[in-house]
Amino acid sequence: MNPLWGITLRGIEAVPVEVEVEITGGLFAISIVGLPDASVRESKERVRAALRSLGLPVRGRVSVNLAPADLPKEGAILDLPIALAVARAMGSLPDLPDGLYMGELALDGRLRGVRGAVGAALLARERGCPLYVPKENAPEVSLVRGCTAFGADTLEELLASLRGERELSRIEEHAPEEGAFRPCTPDFSDIRGQAGAKRALEIAAAGHHNILLTGSPGSGKTLLARALRSILPPLSPEEFLEAALVRSTLGIPLERDMQPPFRAVHHTASIAAICGGGSTLRPGEVSLAHRGVLFLDEFPEFRRDILESLRQPLEDGHITVSRAAGSAIYPSRVLLAVACNPCPCGWIGDPVERCICSPSDLERYRRKISGPILDRIDLHVPVPRLLPEELVAVEGDGGEGSEVIAARVKAAREIQRTRWGESGCTCNAELPERMVKKSLLLDLKVRPFLASMAGRLRLSGRGISRVLKVARTIADLAASERVEVSHVAEALAYRDGGAAG
Amino acid sequence: MIAEHLILGKQGEEIAASRLKELGWTILDRNVSFRGGELDIVALDGDELVVAEVRTRSEGWMQRGEESVGPRKLGRLVLAGRQYVDRRGWQGPWRIDILAVTVGSDGSAALERFEDVTAGAYFS
Repeated sequence: MNPLWGITLRGIEAVPVEVEVEITGGLFAISIVGLPDASVRESKERVRAALRSLGLPVRGRVSVNLAPADLPKEGAILDLPIALAVARAMGSLPDLPDGLYMGELALDGRLRGVRGAVGAALLARERGCPLYVPKENAPEVSLVRGCTAFGADTLEELLASLRGERELSRIEEHAPEEGAFRPCTPDFSDIRGQAGAKRALEIAAAGHHNILLTGSPGSGKTLLARALRSILPPLSPEEFLEAALVRSTLGIPLERDMQPPFRAVHHTASIAAICGGGSTLRPGEVSLAHRGVLFLDEFPEFRRDILESLRQPLEDGHITVSRAAGSAIYPSRVLLAVACNPCPCGWIGDPVERCICSPSDLERYRRKISGPILDRIDLHVPVPRLLPEELVAVEGDGGEGSEVIAARVKAAREIQRTRWGESGCTCNAELPERMVKKSLLLDLKVRPFLASMAGRLRLSGRGISRVLKVARTIADLAASERVEVSHVAEALAYRDGGAAG
Repeated sequence: MIAEHLILGKQGEEIAASRLKELGWTILDRNVSFRGGELDIVALDGDELVVAEVRTRSEGWMQRGEESVGPRKLGRLVLAGRQYVDRRGWQGPWRIDILAVTVGSDGSAALERFEDVTAGAYFS
């Protein structure tokens, strides 16, 4: 008999599981071995009820073995292959051709959608075998090109097709359309003033650079950060699939457009929620924000250990979560946007209000913000509040709309894609260190200028290469082939702004 | 002199056995005794062996027949059933049914069958 394959999830990766069934005489009992978790063990009730509802009563002593035996199996995703293996052992099914089966069973034999369908489709494509899924999962499966997949609504439908009595509907490939601009709120034109911060956000979006917004309460930090999503360039099909894989693993419904993810995290979130982990090794917010924005509002309120734990994923673009249950690697290429007040009371540096913080308050506040994290943020942007009279004076005019800015950002990103195409990275911020020095096309005057400034600003080695990457993005926005001194000067200004404030 | 409830019980088993025959089952044994338990009826339902426990009640009795089989009784049925299939050398699947017979004051009898009562509960 051909082996019958199901799937379980290890991290975001789908792993094949062979399902073997033996039925002997005796009083009815099902035992499942092969490190099943609670939801797999409970599948015996669903499997028996579903088969009985189709007029296939399971009798005798049923042993189910899930191989490989040392891999923990999780989720109701194995209901369907177990039911098929039992039906085959009862003689109600012919020997099955090679295939991958996944799905949760309802007691009446309907098939319910499960987590991890995108990963399963990738696995099926790699193995070159057909994939059988509940119809509910069809939208996710259809994203994967070159995967032969069939959808069924009920176990009955699937059994009939495996017996050759009917045809199942093939799931057509349906890659999402190339991204058109989709308006979302807030729009840049909704925000009055703040020209400097808007410029910095445009650079951040164009090169996928991390950004820090500092300003007093009510100055519009959060609004600006949220407006960032309206100018982000649309995802490429590959990036979209990477983001969809993480979402599908967590069972979050798919977005059907190419809008990059935007995840705003509250400061009470735990390390497992942000970095991933937990008893079943789920990906966290930093992976859900992959290829998009991770936004931490009230940055200094986050626990120190959480901020420190973000250092490695920010640098490497992936995060390795190791637990007793095993380890998993999740993607985490995010644009980190953070917002904070300049001091505990929020008014230091304000032209009107008086700051009431003592020097020790300020010192403690500054210590809360992790230096190594700040060093990884390329754009430090002050967001001065508009005084009431200014707000009234600029009534109605918010400047350029997001659509105009988004077009410039997209153009700049195209230039980057073309330039770095062969190296595998898609934007300036991702550029590996060894390529920074030689392939940025610096103007001859840039080096001496940077050398003098680096000493004065006490830039670290990483700081210098990050300044150069930002300068490259500014040059791309200006459609300039070479990085000029003025581009580097602007990039340094964003660096300096944070160090001084 | 036999007690009245024992007569009623005997009567119920007769009714149950004849109904099972009408269903097309083959009665293999009646009242098989083991240490720790007795099997009322053992029959063949197709290719599956059935150990049937008959519970008879007069109409209007407070507790229904099927309700009088508790976990301890089920455990004893499983043990006795295992001894039976071992002794008989039965290799196929088997199950335990409860047959609840309700006898009316006019002598009429109603039979309700509860199939495979141990499914989902596992006696090791």
